[in-house]
Amino acid sequence: MSDDGRGSTGGGGDGDGDGVFRRDVLKASGAAAVALGLGGGGYASSLAETATEPASRQNPGIESYVGQDEIIRTACAPNCRGKCPLEAHVRDGRVRKIEPQIPEDERYKRACTLGLSHTQRIYNATRLKYPMKRVGWEPGSPNPEGRGDAAEFERVTWDEALDYIAAEMERVRDDYGPESVYFETGSGNNGISGTIQSRLSSLFGGTQKSWSIDINVGLGFSRLAGAGFFNVPTNEVVDWRNANTVIVWGSDIFASNLQQDASKLLDAVENGAKLVCVDPVYTNTAAKADLWLPIKPGKDTLLTLSMIKTVLADETYDTEFLRKRTLGPALVRDDTGELLDASDVFDDVTEDLPVAVDESTGEPVALEPETYGEYALFGEYTVAGVDCHTALSLLEEHVSDYDPDAVAAEVGINADNIRTAVRWLATRGPGGIASGYGVDRYKYGHTFGQAYAILLGLTGDFGRHGSIQGSHPLGGSYDNGGYDAPEDGPGTTSLPQTDILTAIESGDPYQLKVMYSQESNFIANQMPDRQRWLEASKKLDLIAVADMHHTPSVQHADIILPASHWFEREDVVDTWGGHPHIMYRQPAHDPLWESKSDHWMLVRLAERLGFGDYFNRDKSATLRELLANDDEVDYETLKEQGTVKVSTPVVKFTGEFNTPSGRLELYDEDAPTEGGVTLELPKHIESRTADDWDTAEDYPLMFIQKHSKWRIHSQYEYQNWLREINNEPQLDINPKDAAARGIEDGDYVRVHNERGEMVVKAKLNDGMQPGLVNTDQGWWGSDYVRGHHNDLTHTDVCEVTGNFAFYDTRVEVEPAPSDVDTSKYTSDQPTGSGATSAGAGGD
Amino acid sequence: MTNYGLVIDQERCIGCHACAVTCKQENNVGLGQYWNRVLTEGGDKMDTPAGTYPENGEDGTLEMSYQPTACQHCDNAPCVKVCPVNATYTREDGIVEIDYDKCIGCRYCMAACPYNARVFNWDEPQTVPEDGTGDVPARPQGVVEKCTFCSHRVEEGLDPACVVNCPADARIFGDLDNEESTVSKYIRKYQTTRLLEDRGTDPKTYYIRGEMSPGRPQTSDKMESELDDVSVWSEPKDNGPVEESGGSGGGGSHGSLSNDALPHVPAFEGGDD
Repeated sequence: MSDDGRGSTGGGGDGDGDGVFRRDVLKASGAAAVALGLGGGGYASSLAETATEPASRQNPGIESYVGQDEIIRTACAPNCRGKCPLEAHVRDGRVRKIEPQIPEDERYKRACTLGLSHTQRIYNATRLKYPMKRVGWEPGSPNPEGRGDAAEFERVTWDEALDYIAAEMERVRDDYGPESVYFETGSGNNGISGTIQSRLSSLFGGTQKSWSIDINVGLGFSRLAGAGFFNVPTNEVVDWRNANTVIVWGSDIFASNLQQDASKLLDAVENGAKLVCVDPVYTNTAAKADLWLPIKPGKDTLLTLSMIKTVLADETYDTEFLRKRTLGPALVRDDTGELLDASDVFDDVTEDLPVAVDESTGEPVALEPETYGEYALFGEYTVAGVDCHTALSLLEEHVSDYDPDAVAAEVGINADNIRTAVRWLATRGPGGIASGYGVDRYKYGHTFGQAYAILLGLTGDFGRHGSIQGSHPLGGSYDNGGYDAPEDGPGTTSLPQTDILTAIESGDPYQLKVMYSQESNFIANQMPDRQRWLEASKKLDLIAVADMHHTPSVQHADIILPASHWFEREDVVDTWGGHPHIMYRQPAHDPLWESKSDHWMLVRLAERLGFGDYFNRDKSATLRELLANDDEVDYETLKEQGTVKVSTPVVKFTGEFNTPSGRLELYDEDAPTEGGVTLELPKHIESRTADDWDTAEDYPLMFIQKHSKWRIHSQYEYQNWLREINNEPQLDINPKDAAARGIEDGDYVRVHNERGEMVVKAKLNDGMQPGLVNTDQGWWGSDYVRGHHNDLTHTDVCEVTGNFAFYDTRVEVEPAPSDVDTSKYTSDQPTGSGATSAGAGGD
Repeated sequence: MTNYGLVIDQERCIGCHACAVTCKQENNVGLGQYWNRVLTEGGDKMDTPAGTYPENGEDGTLEMSYQPTACQHCDNAPCVKVCPVNATYTREDGIVEIDYDKCIGCRYCMAACPYNARVFNWDEPQTVPEDGTGDVPARPQGVVEKCTFCSHRVEEGLDPACVVNCPADARIFGDLDNEESTVSKYIRKYQTTRLLEDRGTDPKTYYIRGEMSPGRPQTSDKMESELDDVSVWSEPKDNGPVEESGGSGGGGSHGSLSNDALPHVPAFEGGDD
């Protein structure tokens, strides 16, 4: 096979198809190219080998090119809620600027600070340029100790890189079985790469991961409502303006979800909605709220129980909704705690139906889904000789001790404010709870999902305009016809990320030996207890990483595969969670240097592994084949329009709930057990947030890692326009906590616990709750003076969902040791420091 | 006469800095320099509030908002008056601009500007990507530069980049002399302030504080005056439900639009509202 991809690809942006863009964008000169081969060096350095004299400098008085650029339609798609359709303005083979693209539904024309800065990402010095092999790595002799910061790499051809990977995959398949090859896709992009990788994994019989992140609250909610995983489905955000009360809970929506959602939430406020924010931090969102509830970390379920108590005590619940669409009136047996079964009551009923009592007749009736009756919501009844209570009566009893006055001190919120918030929700008409991912990151966050599903059941906030159940509208997706799991292959084995760790580390449930990673910076940056992952990864014989940039995980690779920027590839992007479109990416120019699309790499890897017949080198043909399975979107229309709006319901949770009873199961008779506690009704369970936690004395501060507006996870890292505003990782700390430790604003501090440490600059912030500190997540290891925020987090997860609990972390903070080297931030920097003096930091 | 001005709704501004970043992109502003800054009103540092954290169920005293600040394009611009070489001047359409060929770098204008809106190129400006958009003239070392209301776009009928690319719809640009323009209507309808009005500079940037406006409809990058149909701009939004493209109403009366999507019901009586 001779196809090393070097030099001009002459085709479809990626060498994946017929040429549509043949301009010779870059004249790479050998020497300079090698010097920058890994994209090292300062982030301010420009592309030495690509520089052509800019017209604007040759001729300062030039005419404007406004309106004369070629407009390329593409899309931004890291793992944010935006997935914004973008326009790339291209002239002379270079992207000049980025603007939002107007999609088919023009209300979703948006781009955020990050999306608008892509020119600095495409032409960034950290771009990977050539395939590389780690010096010291050889097939079968991985020398894993050589990985990491000290690793050096040498340039290889694409043929060599792919041959190495294919040979190692085949070798470990023979020695350990095909499942020992782990195909990892992160959340770094939303094109078809994941589908292609899954297809290869399925044919090979490899392992892929299922998520152990951000599924806690969604799964708790789903137990009752039949939907929810990553967060909870909710009405399309353009419908939010019909909400009269919006409780944003555990989400800084104006900072981390701003792309598509900020304007829609503002529209709701402008239209008269009350905005409530539940957050331990005084955030952008709290600052805009009518009422901020400064909850203590980990008390979300407790607060929700007090709100449920308030609605029941006020009798402001929605009787009609409870009778028609919930298990509220269902009878629960006193003897077993199970729902009374209609087949035990009525001779003519064989179906598995719950039973209620009709108040007008006093007779028992079978509870059908979506059926209204004058059912008794409260009370104890003896039916067919069985003593029962209604589910609502059990709930009422369950929350009886949780009056706002009783929980106020523990949750840290004034009882009157708790009542105000929930009374707005219960009495002002449609509204709801826009939960974010904050609560997910506490160990028992799933109990909050269960609890607030009940609260919204009481207020009837399902299935109507203006109702809000989460912040995940589940926007556009398309049917790819099962392309990712062809019937011919042995299929992929799926392991949760928690098991991926143990599988690498100790062979439990089986040994992983090779990792092929794409669109992911997990292993060396984004996983909790990062050092454990790095140590475990020494068991791997090969780590191959495909990426655009030289991330920490790339530095940890044995084989480096340079991936093209999104704007250099043809692709189809779906928008789960965001807006209801499928989007097309037209390549703006050929991939720079020797970078290639993931599709290009995977197809050639598949060919080497003997699966070439299942793939098509022509990416356009692949996209056409994928879309041919969908009824609403076809390749030609999508290519012509840039976006196609797909039909997803504006209003969610209409009709029968996807539960055994077809109703919202306020009482969960099949409840799981957590730490010996069964969860028929939601219970307040805590882990490290408890004051009496056994390390509370040594590590008195809770440590969260908020999602900021400056990056999406670990992406958009070295972009000048962003870095000069947000230059280095900091520790947000309340002035009281700082003073108690002799720390002043701007001091470098050491944050530590039993797992590790990080050294960062202290940022005194009155918006931080005393006892709570924050460092925004996503910073790379190279950004820290010492350590890393994920050297502090842990892998202790709950039984029910196995979700990583990043925020359930205790630390202590002290002044940094005097010998700490802070020169990377205190000496003259090519950029960043200048912005501070320009006052860009919001002084 | 056309007299361009800007309305910024600070109730809508979320402090995301998209305006600041897109300005740098559009105008090829050098590293370390800002024509358009998003200042935090509150604590000493970006994204921090003033006040103290509410503990033990207290009501908080924390406050934070954002103050996006660029050249205010004053009608009575002090920078224009002090420029010894007439490099800074007011165009017929009200935009205050700099002729970089004339600027001698004396920086009198910077001292005169009460808004700290101007920056000086002490060094050769460094930009990434190096050659930028090519839509604006390069500025050499030794001159002062600042926001131009994106005059190069305005001349092509396009709104300034910060206006078009605000994800919160918080910025509205238009002709202050046209009573029917959205900026004029917003200034009449909403409570607006201008920065340092007591200085007599008569700035043409208005800030909405108090009641939130509907913002700018982000359906086009064209200026309002270039649109055939401005009804979407100037008419108040209806308060009805959005068009539904799927699904149906939910249970009982709560699925019914006529019941549920009406304008807001009064707040809970006897509560703490």
